Amino acid sequence: MNTTSTARPGVLSGVRVLDFTWKTVGPWSTRLLTHYGAEVIHVERAGGWDDHRYNAAPSIVTDEPKVAQTLGMKKVYSDPQFNTHRDESAAATERPKLYAAPYFNTLHNGKLAISLNTKSPEGLKIVERLIGMCDALVENFSAEVLPSWGLTWERLHAINPRLVYMSTSGFGHTGDWKTYRSYGPTAAAQSGLSLASGLPGKPPAGWGFSYLDVMGGWMGGLSLIQGLLQAKKTGEGCHIDYSVTEGAMSMLGTYMLDYQVNGRRTRRPDFPPGNRAVFPALAPHNTYRCAGRDRNGQDWWIFIACETQVQFEALCSVMEQPGLVLDTKFATNEARVTNQAELDQIISNWTRPRRRYDIMRKCQAAGIVAAVVQNAEDRVEYDPQLQHREVFPVIENPEVGGAFSYERYPVRLSRTPATVQSRAPVLAEHNQYVFGELLQMSEAEINSLRERGVI
Amino acid sequence: MTGVYEGLTVIELADRRNQWAGKLLSDGGARVIQVEPIAGSPGRWCGPFADDKPDPDLCIDYWWNNTGKQSAAVDVARPAGRDLLKQLLAKADVFLESTPPGTLANLGLGYDAAASNRNLIYASLTDFGQDGPWRDYVANDVAHLALGGQMASSGYSDPKETPIGGKGHHAWHMGCAFMLHGITAALIERMGSGEGQFIDVSIHDACAIGTEAAVPQWMYYGSTMYRQTGMHANPKRQPPLQLPTADGKYMIAVMQNFGRPVWEKLIKWMDEKGVTGELHDPKYQDEAFRMSEYRTGNVIRDAIARLIAASDGEECFHRAQSYNISWGLVRAAEENYDVAHYRQRDYWRSIEHPQIGRAIPYPRGPFACDALRIEPRGRAPNLGEHTQHVLAHDLGMSADAIMALRTSGVVR
Repeated sequence: MNTTSTARPGVLSGVRVLDFTWKTVGPWSTRLLTHYGAEVIHVERAGGWDDHRYNAAPSIVTDEPKVAQTLGMKKVYSDPQFNTHRDESAAATERPKLYAAPYFNTLHNGKLAISLNTKSPEGLKIVERLIGMCDALVENFSAEVLPSWGLTWERLHAINPRLVYMSTSGFGHTGDWKTYRSYGPTAAAQSGLSLASGLPGKPPAGWGFSYLDVMGGWMGGLSLIQGLLQAKKTGEGCHIDYSVTEGAMSMLGTYMLDYQVNGRRTRRPDFPPGNRAVFPALAPHNTYRCAGRDRNGQDWWIFIACETQVQFEALCSVMEQPGLVLDTKFATNEARVTNQAELDQIISNWTRPRRRYDIMRKCQAAGIVAAVVQNAEDRVEYDPQLQHREVFPVIENPEVGGAFSYERYPVRLSRTPATVQSRAPVLAEHNQYVFGELLQMSEAEINSLRERGVI
Repeated sequence: MTGVYEGLTVIELADRRNQWAGKLLSDGGARVIQVEPIAGSPGRWCGPFADDKPDPDLCIDYWWNNTGKQSAAVDVARPAGRDLLKQLLAKADVFLESTPPGTLANLGLGYDAAASNRNLIYASLTDFGQDGPWRDYVANDVAHLALGGQMASSGYSDPKETPIGGKGHHAWHMGCAFMLHGITAALIERMGSGEGQFIDVSIHDACAIGTEAAVPQWMYYGSTMYRQTGMHANPKRQPPLQLPTADGKYMIAVMQNFGRPVWEKLIKWMDEKGVTGELHDPKYQDEAFRMSEYRTGNVIRDAIARLIAASDGEECFHRAQSYNISWGLVRAAEENYDVAHYRQRDYWRSIEHPQIGRAIPYPRGPFACDALRIEPRGRAPNLGEHTQHVLAHDLGMSADAIMALRTSGVVR
């Protein structure tokens, strides 16, 4: 059992982070710090567990027998957004014994885990002691939660003047909507992102990978690294009030300014334009159906774009239709944009019976932008570039009986590499390290806290 | 001037991929000198343009992505221009570039050459990274959303419809986010070591890990995701959560647990609209039954769809939120200018634009934090606006020497 923290190499080695995050957006932000060697202590409520551990096989390393028992009763703690819980117990039995659900393993790798009852005064005292020993505190609760524990920014700053406190929330910690709640799709809808994705005349397609849960975490992680830089320079901590919706709006500036300057709205009949290009208007620039289907029966597609006349001429030659270049309907980009429905049909007729990677190879060899619409299987199993760059490394985890695949952290620093540090922690795996070693509690004290349900 | 990047000098080689990263460095207080081609950054020519008039100084997308930067128009393909860039790099803290791998090395400006400035953080944000079989492939933003898996998870429940890559250059945003992590981490490290380093970020790598549960679902369970209109892709098809309102908009009625207090308020709202149906049946009082029906059945879902169809978007949003229900209204980006909440949070920054003779409110930036202070500090530069200043003050060149470079077309 790994109860002590090992020294972790990296730029943030020696930095300690108290992590109250859950769901997706918060956990991503703190996971990023682990790749730089920070010690991230993920807090789960005593007697419960992070929702993303839902319906996993029972923890194989745990000092919380009550929890294991509850898991045995199959009490459902699922994330209703994913609706996947019904499959997983069956799937998990066929796989190497997992200590946590896949998504938990992805979001929390490299972290330490403790359990703590923050609703008890004793638990809160422990939180305050930990805050005194940490460089950063992160949470993605609703705005009222930390103040309800007595942990206002003023209080946090008084406990530890160097503390970087980052709160991630849907709408921020001030203003009329500070109590409003949000998941990634809520923030995508409110910011204007959802409306910027889809076909004209159809409902918004949105961002099915919940862009803001992902990018929100990456941006939140950026603010943490920035906060740590600033604290190192000035000796002063700060409160970063990260509203995911505002973060999204700060990626939509062009549309905001276009409205201010030209009065052009994104809520208009010809927007969004599907996969076609508006600024600048280019054609061809679209997805085209190819031969074959994925495992769910969805057709395979390729995206093709010509950004220059040379690329279009090359495409005509790859398609063995050199006459198109001379056709006045397609001879210039302007003409192609005007006649793009007809052009898209011609290209689609060419791609439809052909295999998608063949098309991509041929087009790319001729200097044309061509990109297979790859799903997860394609990327993990077949994408030669990602294999070459080892984006999905497999890491041995003998103590939990297997090897697991991970997503690499995609920043390559030449002198101080960022790495996947370790698997995700088992429930309460680091109670002994945090309470015993860091907080110097005796075994009797720890046992007493455990018996009273504080940890 | 304060801000997390205060005091830093950044040289940015103009490109559409990296300009948002440069913007956040500039917004954070760094002095960012964008070295542009004589004809201007490609970012100046994409549009939209003010009054739809194509002009390198009127490109709105460029305005947004280049706030507060300085522009030096230098032809680095020519030896004299190359030498100017080399001199700038000798004094810089950060070099941000997105040329195809090998391009700068061939010009004598690769990391090895630039590293004579031991301070320098050399940040290369490229389509596929510095190595690998696809290194020299060409891509644009949407191509990355295709290869990276974003498209495979976004689109419509109708299996005949195309996957969709959303608009707004978000593959580039994702690459930039990671590049900013790397630069900021390297700045922390440099405080101790006194040395910079080389950072290689591939936009493809970044996108490839940015599809939420899709990769773990495949790796651990062998599941492939279905695209679903306006909602999460999922290994199983689910009923719609993006639902039309009475006033022609859409709500995203994200699934969540309905505990007793929330449920009672929701039922009261449904009663008011006359859409409750059978939900007064006592069996729905039991939370476990209720949630199971909501997840797997149609009764509660249908009632919610009727409720939203009977309510206007704003009513739906505020009423749901006041009951702690996390539904969102699908708004247009520009509609947020009318929302008081963002004004209360001091979200807008007024930036003067002499080109159109007035100021425009810009979004502040991703974070509310006085200590980091990441916000637009001034308009984007006009093409070559700071060439003279950079050559004279940063490189100490004489007026005659600058004139000679101008005349020969090396700078503008």
